Amino acid sequence: MNIAILYGTETGNAEMLAEDVATELDGAQDTSVSSLSDIDPDALHGADLNIILCSSYGDGELPASAKPFAEKIETGKPDLSGVKFAIFGLGDSEYHATYGGGSMRLADMLVQCGATQLGERIVHDAAGGDMPEDLALPWATGIITTLTAA
Amino acid sequence: MEESTDMKGKVAIIGAGPSGCYTAQALLKAAPDLEVDIIDALPVPYGLIRYGVAADHQGTKAVTRQFDRVFTRMNARFYGNVKVGQDVTLAALEDAYDTVVVAIGLSADRKLGIPGDELPGVYGSARLTRALYEHPDAAPLPDLGPNPVIIGTGNVAVDLLRLMVKTPEELTGSDLGPGPTEWLEAQSFQRITTLGRSPAAAARFDPAMIRELSNLERINVTLHPPAQGTEGIEGVLAELEGTSAGALPVDFMFERTPRAIHQGPDGLILTVDSPDGSEEIAASSIITAIGFASDGLFDAGTCPGVGWHKTGPTGALPRCREDAQLLATEILKGLSPDPARIGRALLDRLPDTTDFAHWQAIDVFEKTNATPGRCRRKLADKANLLTAPTPQDA
Repeated sequence: MNIAILYGTETGNAEMLAEDVATELDGAQDTSVSSLSDIDPDALHGADLNIILCSSYGDGELPASAKPFAEKIETGKPDLSGVKFAIFGLGDSEYHATYGGGSMRLADMLVQCGATQLGERIVHDAAGGDMPEDLALPWATGIITTLTAA
Repeated sequence: MEESTDMKGKVAIIGAGPSGCYTAQALLKAAPDLEVDIIDALPVPYGLIRYGVAADHQGTKAVTRQFDRVFTRMNARFYGNVKVGQDVTLAALEDAYDTVVVAIGLSADRKLGIPGDELPGVYGSARLTRALYEHPDAAPLPDLGPNPVIIGTGNVAVDLLRLMVKTPEELTGSDLGPGPTEWLEAQSFQRITTLGRSPAAAARFDPAMIRELSNLERINVTLHPPAQGTEGIEGVLAELEGTSAGALPVDFMFERTPRAIHQGPDGLILTVDSPDGSEEIAASSIITAIGFASDGLFDAGTCPGVGWHKTGPTGALPRCREDAQLLATEILKGLSPDPARIGRALLDRLPDTTDFAHWQAIDVFEKTNATPGRCRRKLADKANLLTAPTPQDA
């Protein structure tokens, strides 16, 4: 399966996680890792599955590297039907009013353009005791297993 | 960033805080064969992540996992306990390396620049935060009295306010050390004031940091002047005022310009210009959180700089990362490796340097010996930071 792993990051944590997901899936799958700032929404059609790792920043907003991508969606209103994506958020519960806001906005935007969201949007809590990959790797492999079996 | 190259070369980075580490990360991602050595005056790396990010903001500190990999997977080397100018000269580093990057940050407090700004009872936030977060060279924490005034409307001011207002329960999970914890418990604040020149709508606090204050049990915020609008940061402040109902009054004063400080019979008196003319504010102590400055002790010559040393004291981790990535690209473009340069052989000659494994041992030790309600117990003493901990030191 051709899997595009995309990240929206501010401090580099989502990028690191994206690389870890790629390492985990490599071998079994055809993976590529890109920053959301380097791709157009239409590129999402090119992958069998888009796995998105996205942090929140500021007031529950998208991280800076995801903003150009979001703007293209908002202005271009692309037709994303047929696009399959799964999204994992990175948040910090110290800021619980807006916890995971970034990944939530992005998921909503994609769904509104017709994309299909697979699996749940899980948000890792930076203030918690576990590591992001402890949640993200089983989550990603679970979604792929379900998709392959379908 | 461009694709990886097999370029060789030797780069020294002075300062193992986030700017230095992000620079190393970007350099090594693009050119994995570079020799990158990161020097720090302290025996442990990570600079303000360890000694500047608030003790209750552990999530923010998670970036160190990226920096760990710079040392453990990308082959950068850490040389701690090296004071450039003392243990080794900048000139010697420039001879030994193809490039020397200065990432030393800004460690002094910016002065208010008004009469009385050096009176006893006026404390800079750099000094206070270093003590709160147990920097080994910190001056002791002072008694702040019942009604401290914080001058500054940015995130450092909010960090201090938040820690001053938090109850012991609200500090659970932090790494606030036993000394600072006791100190906080011994303070008996009756009223805390923050003030700044800007109007509320132009305050530099991050909205998320203000929202965070609404979780606090004790806080009871009043805005002066009252909020004019509901948009942006002013709206977030107004919401905080509306929902806070605790026992400790906290006054946020805007459009106040400090003019002078003098000693009164019961403490300090801060004279400010306000929308209604001149005002006198009584303060048991005054904390300045108006930015950091260079201590002027290090001459970086023509070495490229990164982070606050170069850009000034604004911008947090994302800006630092961007800055570092830009610098790394520039460095790689202009690098002319000279194989005759001795590189790390210069630093290997120095006695008493510490390496990354030393930090890893300290990190494990601090986490293992955390006191109840804390995620780590920092070694605060310089001597302890220099000796590799053994189990019986617990």
